Amino acid sequence: MRASAGGSPAGPETRSGVPRHRTSDLEHFWIITAHQLGHYLRTNRFYGLLGFVSLISALTLASQVDAGVATIQLQQLYRSSEYLSNFLVYTGLWVVLAAAFFGGDALSVDFSTGAGYYMLVLPVRRPVLLAGRYAAATLVTLAIVGTSYAFATAGAIYFFGAEQIPWSLLGGSLGIAIVYSLAAVSVAFCISAFVRTPAAGVLITVLALYVGFTTLQSVVELANIEPWFSLSYAGGAMAAILDTDFLHIQTIPLGQQQYYTIWVATVAEGLEIMAAYVAVFLPLSAYLYQRAESTG
Amino acid sequence: MGSFEVSQLSKRYGAGPPVLQDVSFRYEGAGAIGYLGPNGAGKTTTLKLLVGLLRPTEGHAYLNGVEATVDRKNALWDVGALIETPEPYPTLNVHESLDVVGRARGLPRDEIDREVDRCHALLDLPPLGQRIGWLSKGQRQRVSLAASLMGDPPVLLLDEPTSGLDPAERVLVRRTLNGLKRDHLILMSSHQMFEVAEVCDQVIFVHQGRVLLQDRVDRLAERIRSRQVDVEFEGPVPVDAMQFLREISTEVVAVSDRRWRITFDGTDAARVQLLQACQKIGPVFQFANSSLSLEEAYLELIPKVPEDS
Repeated sequence: MRASAGGSPAGPETRSGVPRHRTSDLEHFWIITAHQLGHYLRTNRFYGLLGFVSLISALTLASQVDAGVATIQLQQLYRSSEYLSNFLVYTGLWVVLAAAFFGGDALSVDFSTGAGYYMLVLPVRRPVLLAGRYAAATLVTLAIVGTSYAFATAGAIYFFGAEQIPWSLLGGSLGIAIVYSLAAVSVAFCISAFVRTPAAGVLITVLALYVGFTTLQSVVELANIEPWFSLSYAGGAMAAILDTDFLHIQTIPLGQQQYYTIWVATVAEGLEIMAAYVAVFLPLSAYLYQRAESTG
Repeated sequence: MGSFEVSQLSKRYGAGPPVLQDVSFRYEGAGAIGYLGPNGAGKTTTLKLLVGLLRPTEGHAYLNGVEATVDRKNALWDVGALIETPEPYPTLNVHESLDVVGRARGLPRDEIDREVDRCHALLDLPPLGQRIGWLSKGQRQRVSLAASLMGDPPVLLLDEPTSGLDPAERVLVRRTLNGLKRDHLILMSSHQMFEVAEVCDQVIFVHQGRVLLQDRVDRLAERIRSRQVDVEFEGPVPVDAMQFLREISTEVVAVSDRRWRITFDGTDAARVQLLQACQKIGPVFQFANSSLSLEEAYLELIPKVPEDS
């Protein structure tokens, strides 16, 4: 059946003969990444988290400055790598919080708010949409983490001098932080694809990645089992790479021939675990996102 | 020119009752089609199935010959859609919100600005630098409508496009749609009968997930059994003479001294009886179904389907 024209009062001229070109998936990826990044960088949650991380880092640095160079050098065994390792001990938490804030609702927002009715009707494949958002969430997470690294580096230069900084190890730590961010955002995206409300996605991501994994890790360590399955355990590699006295396994005697064993992930092990998380959770997120329906 | 088609389309959520049952229609070329029905009839569901926001339980939905659930990018390439209440990110401004749509639809950068200007002029958009989060509901709706027009896609799927707009904004949107339908194919769901009558050339009535009727607006009166006839006699007829018709009609109203409107049960037998009775009263100049407005057609059609069918 063919629709007919005419019979109604003429409106304004609307046809503009607009030239268009077939946008590739890669172009769509950059478009979505830039759009999502533009959004994230103006959210209150970004400023809030950036401010929080900056405040904690600044307070830490200020207290160290107040203690004096000599005291800090002594505390850190005159090693800048030790200082950096200790300063960056909270990086895992910052990654988890950022991943939860920017990935925990990245997909559920399409099915619980009207955002999906704006973006999902565009001629963009859903996996590309997901990839663009994933890249944006990871970049914002790295901006938060980078702030912590910037304060740590500034402190190390102040207390030990630039020539004492193990730049290659610091770069390695930052590289691990990038992989850790990719893994944490993958988990957050997967949770976001499961839940229907953005707030629940954020909360569950924090609980799962931080509280859940940390608790589980402690429980299995009590049973003398290495927590090789835990992402937060893998995240320990960020600081471990800078630790010159690094021990993969530490056995603490508890008396009466009882021992408590603590594992710290090696760099290779940590990277393997993180890569496994990305390999499992990112495709799963894409599958769930592809299947999700706008029923609301 | 574009096309859209649904073929034996059904949708059911889990074990619940079907929200859409075996719906089929196809349109191509240019024009505006009104998609009408009460709340829960399946209008929005049909539009969501067309753009791939839902997957059909049975059947197929095609946009320009492509199923969005199979190849979203190509199916939506030449389609602008306004479904439910779209929410661009509140942190971005009007221009940024339209820019992403233009770029996703393959517009060159300089063309995006021209398109934004065109949409701005068509729909009287708020200032382009204003944040979405600061706009009123009506302003946001116009921005979303502008987004569906970016790049001038030949097919437009509009779900209640004037929802949330004030009367002046509604007039603006109706004027825009009337202009667009000359060279675009528009499927527009609405509750506003006068709006559909003003914009659309054809209508599809849907109720409880089934299509009841689809036809041109000007042919509705012929398709729907009317319960009213207008009788015009050659000369004036006194009121007393018309009392004769009371037994076979439910209401007899004088339109003029020669012209009467008679309401009856709508059956063919009663219609024949009425004509014969009128001819006994006097020479009949004209005996025809009353003209049917879209609203009357809607009211005539929708209650005919039992609620539990």
